[in-house]
Amino acid sequence: MSRSAENFWDKVYREKTVLSLSSVLGFLALWHLATDILGLMPAIVLPSPEKVFFTIYEKILAPVGEEKLFGHIGVSLVRILVGVGIALGLAIPLGILMGWYEDLDSMASPIIEVLRPIPPIAWIPLAILWFGIGLGSKVFIIAIGVFFPTLINTYIGVKFVDPLLIKAAQTLGAKDKDILWEVVVPASVPLIVAGVRIGVGLGMMCLVAAELVAASTGLGYLIMLGGDDLKPELSITGMILIGILGLLADRVILRFERRVIYWKKE
Amino acid sequence: MNEEQRPDKLSARNVSVMYEKDDTSFLAVDDVSMTIQEGEFVVIVGPSGCGKTTFMNTFAGLVRPAKGKVYMDGEEITGPSAERGVVFQQFALFPWKTVSENIEFGLKYRGIPKEQRDEIVKKYVQLIKLEGFEKSYPHELSGGMKQRVAIARVYANRPQVLLMDEPFGALDAQTRTIMQEDLSGMFLTEKRTVLFITHSVDEAIYLGDRVVIMTARPGKIKKIIPITRENLIPDRRQMRYDDVVNLKEFLELKADIWGLIKAEILEKHIL
Repeated sequence: MSRSAENFWDKVYREKTVLSLSSVLGFLALWHLATDILGLMPAIVLPSPEKVFFTIYEKILAPVGEEKLFGHIGVSLVRILVGVGIALGLAIPLGILMGWYEDLDSMASPIIEVLRPIPPIAWIPLAILWFGIGLGSKVFIIAIGVFFPTLINTYIGVKFVDPLLIKAAQTLGAKDKDILWEVVVPASVPLIVAGVRIGVGLGMMCLVAAELVAASTGLGYLIMLGGDDLKPELSITGMILIGILGLLADRVILRFERRVIYWKKE
Repeated sequence: MNEEQRPDKLSARNVSVMYEKDDTSFLAVDDVSMTIQEGEFVVIVGPSGCGKTTFMNTFAGLVRPAKGKVYMDGEEITGPSAERGVVFQQFALFPWKTVSENIEFGLKYRGIPKEQRDEIVKKYVQLIKLEGFEKSYPHELSGGMKQRVAIARVYANRPQVLLMDEPFGALDAQTRTIMQEDLSGMFLTEKRTVLFITHSVDEAIYLGDRVVIMTARPGKIKKIIPITRENLIPDRRQMRYDDVVNLKEFLELKADIWGLIKAEILEKHIL
């Protein structure tokens, strides 16, 4: 690329950044205007942005309930990571095997088809009954949320691998087992990663739902606490942090996606 | 060389293939019998949709005949084998593997040790003139380069038989000519048994020892023209493609074959 072209794209990028930044600032200004300046909403219903940021700043190292703000973030992070880890560890191998072995598909499909439409939050009472109100029940709910999209995408990825690639491998001397690991699994990676991305998004929802119902720590609990104690700034703090966490998770997966499917055309 | 004494490499005996589509089945190949001798280059031409590919796939072991049997070295073909390499019309390269890894693919299953595999890959990368592209992925290559990799991948695996399904169909005219000359040269140096499908009559005459003309729907053999055996065009494989296609003998043959195909198309009302 020539120098002038580089400068051109630099400029566009700068302009984009300027636009994005000014839209965020504009949003905060409107929020400020509606609360502090015009008083359209009383502070007990909608606190001003300064108040929310001050709460975040103040609570980082000060206890809110059982934990400091950092502690709540950490607890939620551990729950989501363990939940996602367990779900992926089960869903990806099962999806690969179901997509490849038709007998297993026929056996597992009816059960999965019935379980899949059940919203993960419907499992909350059973989860508490089985795993108590500690880490176990939250991880279980999150894992349920991540499991099904990942499983379905993996299954579809394996099932619909271009048959031509399988034929090519066969005529080059590869046996069934080689074809599964050398052709089918790599070919399904793009769909598997897409499933993980959907799954993790759903997992974030499940995290909040589980923490709203039965927790004394975590960002979902913070959101709930804000409502109970009439401190909406706490709820908003929890929501903003969940949003940031979700965004970061998505970015990490996108990075990973680009790295593993380097071989796809943009 | 006495062509008649070569053993049969491939043979089809009364092969019929049914083709299922939307709950109805068609007869795609109707009672075809033919033999291909060891070291022979046979080209099948015919109107599109005449069952050429289906017929070739019975030799590949990818399609089972409804009636009749296909044999290699007198043994019935019951499934795909590395001894019958296939070059597919749509390349079928593994997109997550580099040029080298694609060419190496079949060698692993032949139990060839790594150093030897590397040597073979190097040799074929040179043969297809892709030095410098060893670490490229298929999406970074042009259509002609991809097709050369697909051909090298099969050649490197040293199958006894090469089945090539319109391998140059997706290429532009110049690339196609270069590929035809390359293949012709490779055939002379690597001498394998080849069954080749095309709808280009020029390509068929330039490459084939024999040209098989198939009828349309269902596919049957209409005529077989033995180009090499009857010495219709001598030494064409050492000549440039553009020079061959202007020979008087070539043009006469082309007119004959075209006449047969055209009659077939008009007769069966396919257009």
